[in-house]
Amino acid sequence: MTAPGRIGLALLLALASFAIVGPMIAASPVAQPDPLNGAFLLPSAAHWLGTDQLSRDIFARLAYGARISLAIAAIAVAVAAMVGSAVGLAAGSSTGLVGRALQRVINLGLALPRIIVLLVVLAAVGRIPPPLLGVLLGLTGWPAVARLVRGETLRLAQAPYVDAAHALGAPPARVLLRDIFPGTLPALLVATTLGVADAILLEAGLSFIGVGVRPPDPSWGSMILEARDHLANAPWLLLAPCVALVLATSAATLLGESLRRSLQPDTR
Amino acid sequence: MNRWLRYRIADAIITAIAAVIALIVLVRLLPGDPLTAILGDRGADPATRAILEARWGTDRTLLQTLASFFGGVLHGDLGISLSEQRPVTTVLAERLGPTLLLGSLTLLIDFTIGLALGVWAALHPDTRRARLLGLFTLIGYAVPSFVVGTLLMWIFAVKLGWVDSGGLTDTLLASDAPASAVLVDRLKHLALPLAAMVIATIAVPLRQQRTAALETAAQPWVLAARARGVRPAAIAWRHCWRPALTPIVTLFGLWLPMLVAGAVFVEYVFNWPGMGSLLAHATFSRDFPLVIGAGLVLIAFVQLGSLLADVLYHVVDPTQRPS
Amino acid sequence: MTPLLEVANLNIFFPQHGGPALVPVDDVSFTVSSGELVALVGESGCGKTLTGLALPRLLPRGAEIGAGSAIRFRGTDLTALSEPELRAYRGRRIAMVFQDPMTSLNPVMRVGAQIAEAIHAHRKVSRRDARDRVLALLVEVGIADPELRIDAYPHQLSGGMRQRVLIAMALAAEPDLLVADEPTTALDVTIQAQILELLDHLRTARGLAVLLITHDLGIVAGRADRVLVMYAGRIVESAATAQLFAHPAHPYTRGLFASIPRLNATTTRLTPIGGSVPRPDEWPAGCRFHPRCPVVIPRCRTERPPLEAKGPGQLAACWVTPGAAR
Repeated sequence: MTAPGRIGLALLLALASFAIVGPMIAASPVAQPDPLNGAFLLPSAAHWLGTDQLSRDIFARLAYGARISLAIAAIAVAVAAMVGSAVGLAAGSSTGLVGRALQRVINLGLALPRIIVLLVVLAAVGRIPPPLLGVLLGLTGWPAVARLVRGETLRLAQAPYVDAAHALGAPPARVLLRDIFPGTLPALLVATTLGVADAILLEAGLSFIGVGVRPPDPSWGSMILEARDHLANAPWLLLAPCVALVLATSAATLLGESLRRSLQPDTR
Repeated sequence: MNRWLRYRIADAIITAIAAVIALIVLVRLLPGDPLTAILGDRGADPATRAILEARWGTDRTLLQTLASFFGGVLHGDLGISLSEQRPVTTVLAERLGPTLLLGSLTLLIDFTIGLALGVWAALHPDTRRARLLGLFTLIGYAVPSFVVGTLLMWIFAVKLGWVDSGGLTDTLLASDAPASAVLVDRLKHLALPLAAMVIATIAVPLRQQRTAALETAAQPWVLAARARGVRPAAIAWRHCWRPALTPIVTLFGLWLPMLVAGAVFVEYVFNWPGMGSLLAHATFSRDFPLVIGAGLVLIAFVQLGSLLADVLYHVVDPTQRPS
Repeated sequence: MTPLLEVANLNIFFPQHGGPALVPVDDVSFTVSSGELVALVGESGCGKTLTGLALPRLLPRGAEIGAGSAIRFRGTDLTALSEPELRAYRGRRIAMVFQDPMTSLNPVMRVGAQIAEAIHAHRKVSRRDARDRVLALLVEVGIADPELRIDAYPHQLSGGMRQRVLIAMALAAEPDLLVADEPTTALDVTIQAQILELLDHLRTARGLAVLLITHDLGIVAGRADRVLVMYAGRIVESAATAQLFAHPAHPYTRGLFASIPRLNATTTRLTPIGGSVPRPDEWPAGCRFHPRCPVVIPRCRTERPPLEAKGPGQLAACWVTPGAAR
């Protein structure tokens, strides 16, 4: 793995540990101990990163936000990878009507802009608990994965060792699961890693426009939204969530690009 | 018009219709009654509710809904916005202009300066400035547009006060102000959203062009052209840039929808009165006739972009042309 | 009479970070005269392609020409010229034909336009005149229906036709020397003979000098005036074709002959040379062929043999082969 890839992996692991350990040692992210005198405090021993406009502890919000944002991203890529590879494998391996129909379904999914589907669903259901938001992000992310896995399946179905397996009389389902599916995993791993960055960005964006993770639940995106109203008097509120967000997306991008380079050297 | 193109256009239209149907079906399948959501805690007596249901069409079956929606589309009617109490088409028409302005300028800069920088980076692979550019593109990849926008707003609008921080125009600007003042005012409002959009997007065409140009520069035909004594500028243009155009054309098609909705988050940051901020507010106020109307426009642009990419693909790559 | 091209002590090296430079072409000297067809023969990796690329100074990035080297074209040393000055030579004085006719043509440019490019690069001519000139060239290289082919894209032509287009392109600016690097390797055997015939014909019709770079001694016979045999970056033998075929002086040349299949010699077995050409970073001391040489003596391992006369008009670098009578 390349040096940037190792940096990305280390950063992701560090952020994941922060998401797990941070909330254990942090104060409550929603408590408003002293809204009158305790707002906009600079960092101190009591509040490591200061307090926000409602006197809430920023470190606590950042830590719980990490937990929520990263959990949503993890759920999203897991759902997208599972649905996408199932549909992609089926579409790539079945011939005739079923294969063509599944190909149509994938194309239809690709024709629906992800952001529109997300906004339509969020408009219809309103407030949504964070884990469900993760599922929703996954259910809108699968067509891209399915297209990728279908392509890989079609490519691998041409491979000599797959021909050999067929010639030896292995049942088609067994060939699909034992010989073809493992071959799609490198591409799937790369797409999933890069998908983490996409999911984090989308969740942060949705929370930033107020329709993703909603107050009082903390999320990096909604923290930036709230900080935006106090740019003139407390610009430092922007710092922590922006840094966390950029670190997370950079880390996933670096790791994904590095994996791509080592697992799929012939592609860009 | 040849057969391939006719087939391709028909395919685009069918796909667009199927996508819109899928969107409407999705709304119907979802739990949660939009009407209740809109009426909120106030509720309504059954008689009023029945009137409202008839008005918003929530009492219809799925087929009736689809029929009336597409019937409306044929007459240029996308229903009434719940939050604005005006026809969806009117609201969309107002918002399309500013979005097209921001989106087309972004695309223009991305696909001129971005491509030029990409070729430059390919021609100077090992210099310090190229590495700096590489770092910059990585940041552009990873930093969300709204973070860029918010930071730009803080620096240039709040701290330095150079430009205005929101909206399309200064509402205090006199209506009879001279044209030059109007132009300056427009540019001051446009500068930050455009900068945020470009910074957040330019990395993609830049990197794609860089990779493609690096690949073509290593091709034997470039050496063959040099061996004929062709001028370096002609080699860069005809033998390096031109054959590397195919992936760029594909990217352009994929990005065309950005004209209408690439800017949801940036428009929201700067209160830019376009489709993006409209979508954000419509979603927040659960105005889904408006969201679906905007979705229809966006889906149309997605298909238009993919159609355009396919056509351009045949134009730029002679091996793909039907002979 | 001064030869058209005189290559003297050509060194091509790749400087390495923290190590001695790689020298894939080491002290190579030869001449080519007008109207002469000289073959440069050797296995892949012997430095013959780099030698060809060095003539119009088209070496890849990272390769440099040594200080003592000279490439004199009609007396002008090309190693001393700047990039813009060199452009006047490329195509106009020294033209190249490359191995792979598919990738040597730009896939998104019509072939006529690519040939015309070579004309426009060196002369001010109108588009119409250039087009007429291109049509005449297509006829000259034996393309049927030139009016039809001139606006074709490379992928619409067969491999043999593409190679003819590449030759037309090389001829477009009326060069004095044509460097053809494995011009037939990527082609079918029947087409190979046609292309070689064409090159031979052009030489006599135009008085063109040709440097034919090949790994195949078989295509050299009956066509080349002289043959240069290259091994591991050095010329090991140089002789008139007839002399070389009759009395090969270097064990490597003999090995090359032994590995050519012949239709009329069914009784002798093919005897390949053992091993393969070593890479530039593992060239042995002394005679570089000694690890593979069947007649090696101790001196070969330590001392580099000089090129010396072994027969009439024949030079070879070997300690074992006896020299010509003094």
